[in-house]
Amino acid sequence: MRNRLLSVIGVAVPLCGIIAVAGLLRVSHLPAEGQNPPGTAQRTAWGEPDLQGIWTDPYETPLQRPAQFGDREFFTEEERAELDRLRAGLLRRDARAEHGTERDVSGAYNAVFQSVQPTGKRTSLIVDPPDGRLPALTPEAEKRNQAEREYRLALLQATETCKNQEPECAGGKYGPPSPRRVEMPPLYNTVAKNRNDHPEDRSRSERCMAAVLPDFGGYRRIVQAPKSVAILYDTGQGQGWQRVIPVDAGPHLPSSIRLRFGDSRGRWEGDTLVVDVTNFSPSFSYLDSRENRHLVERWTRADSSTIQYSVTVEDAATWTKPWTARQELIRQDERANRIYYEPRCHEGNYGLPAMLLGARTEERAFAAGEGPDPATKDTTIGFGNEGGADQLTGNSGAIF
Amino acid sequence: MANRISGSTVAVILFSAGVGAAIALIMTPSAVEPARRSARTADGKPNFSGVWQANNEAYWDLQAHAARPGAVTQPGVYPSYEFARVPAAPVLALGAAAGVPGSLGVVEGDGQIPYKPEAAAMKQENADNWIDRDPELKCYLPGVPRAMYMPYPFQIVQSTNKIQMAFTFANAARTIHLDAVEGPPDDTYMGHSLGRWEGDTLVVDVTGFNGKNWFDRAGNFHSASLHLVERFTLINPDAIRYEATIEDPAVFTRTWRIAMPLYRRLEPTIQLLEYPCIEFAEEFLYGHVRKPQLVKRWEGETMTVEITRKVPPGDRFYDWYRK
Repeated sequence: MRNRLLSVIGVAVPLCGIIAVAGLLRVSHLPAEGQNPPGTAQRTAWGEPDLQGIWTDPYETPLQRPAQFGDREFFTEEERAELDRLRAGLLRRDARAEHGTERDVSGAYNAVFQSVQPTGKRTSLIVDPPDGRLPALTPEAEKRNQAEREYRLALLQATETCKNQEPECAGGKYGPPSPRRVEMPPLYNTVAKNRNDHPEDRSRSERCMAAVLPDFGGYRRIVQAPKSVAILYDTGQGQGWQRVIPVDAGPHLPSSIRLRFGDSRGRWEGDTLVVDVTNFSPSFSYLDSRENRHLVERWTRADSSTIQYSVTVEDAATWTKPWTARQELIRQDERANRIYYEPRCHEGNYGLPAMLLGARTEERAFAAGEGPDPATKDTTIGFGNEGGADQLTGNSGAIF
Repeated sequence: MANRISGSTVAVILFSAGVGAAIALIMTPSAVEPARRSARTADGKPNFSGVWQANNEAYWDLQAHAARPGAVTQPGVYPSYEFARVPAAPVLALGAAAGVPGSLGVVEGDGQIPYKPEAAAMKQENADNWIDRDPELKCYLPGVPRAMYMPYPFQIVQSTNKIQMAFTFANAARTIHLDAVEGPPDDTYMGHSLGRWEGDTLVVDVTGFNGKNWFDRAGNFHSASLHLVERFTLINPDAIRYEATIEDPAVFTRTWRIAMPLYRRLEPTIQLLEYPCIEFAEEFLYGHVRKPQLVKRWEGETMTVEITRKVPPGDRFYDWYRK
């Protein structure tokens, strides 16, 4: 067996040798270690800016700026302290809705499941437009959202949520189960809806596919080699992911190839890694955008403990103009962060089949006259939001 | 005879075309980027950075085996002859594309895997229940060494203190720590990898497994006490000799070793493309709790997969056969 393998290798060696010699001639221009220009940012052994390590943004910063801060990019220290005080006082701990209601049963997660990070310097991640808010949606995107909203409300129509005129039913009405329940959603579904017919009816998060790009949360480990930058994202609920950014590679993939995390092409502009990302998939959404999203990321090592990250998001089918978000990623201690939880959400995903199986069981019970019509139940109620919204982020505490 | 001659003529032409293409690739200055062709890194180590792929059949079965007519087979008309088995329902519709290629095997020495008796029985049981048990079919993280020889490219990003390996399958990754980072307190699918240089060989010690991975599609398995010692040695800038010494006293009576070349993907535009198998495996895993069911149907403990094929009108083979 070994002999045969070796003979295969024997044929390959002469061909590869020629390539190797050609290679040696072409790499001679790379600076050797110790020849870096003095006073520049940290550099790798081969002379590129060094972005390596484990990085995170340890602060809570809303994507969009709360209106009262106008065009102001940063909080004062006093404002941060006050916000921290207010947010720490949020009683999201064991608040309960009226016992026995759907809302009560759904509120199974208390503050233990919801970390609250300290308030950061920035009033919002978005720095452009200057008001820190997402630009207006295009009429086309408004139309998509309207169709989506109408469908979602139709699925809720027969539930207590609409009967009690809860905010989730705003714009909808209470009535008998909608005939639209058998329709597929207007667009490929990515968020939880009040229907459990298929895995595709549940959110990307419940299907262990929550992560999308741009990704502002969690931790990232960056490892570099000449002409490639690998990033391992350890992000929410064991749903991490990884990418390798090719540097100075050719043009983007043909537009027929659509990828969940897009197609990245990097280049060094001075000490900044600029990454152009296109070819996104229509089946994953980020905010209101899908396949037409185009990102330009900028990664700059600002100092030994900071990476300045910014991303410009452009999608002419969704927003009336591009917008830019910025965040500071802080270097994390390697040893303290050795507790790396590999992304194994899927391997332990009992929740998704249990939810679907539960729905099938309820349908059988209803058919046998032993239970309520499943269409009258709301399975999209947020978790543990009874204590009110986070005054900084506006988040209601819903984790899906 | 005439047919056979024309067959070999075609083969010669194809071979010449292939050599021509290979020469063209080598002669085009921009065809292979400098970084990919550098035999050593800036710090003088052998350079493993790039996109690689095993080119063997180990992902089917680490051990030597003859080709089989299907990934799943059942007894044929000669029930006692193994070689007369026929493809079984789960793969039948795919015809000759659903078979398993033969292999010289990658297990060193006598080619045997030294299972303890009870583990050998488990391996056989795994093989008999491949579809129900193989974690690959569920798109679980593949583990190591399995990730190294799955039929997908993977990328090595080699730095000074860390070496990152990015895999196509399941978007999996592993970090090899050359700076001896303490392992996580919990077991993992992909293990905890500590690397060191022994001359020009990268030696990686891997522990911390959770014991849920297999080695291949033949049911070869290990436990959580697996301890791997991998050795990566450049044969030339475009081929790595990969060896893994496998120690698992819970499953095997002694250590054993697999070895194979890993080949650089030389296409000038090569890059990893995602294989989003979590999504691909949803019908397999959760199809039975759909309303209504689409492809497979469960009744109690029994799954039924219906295969309906209609010969398209004008199919030349069937038209001839009907005469």
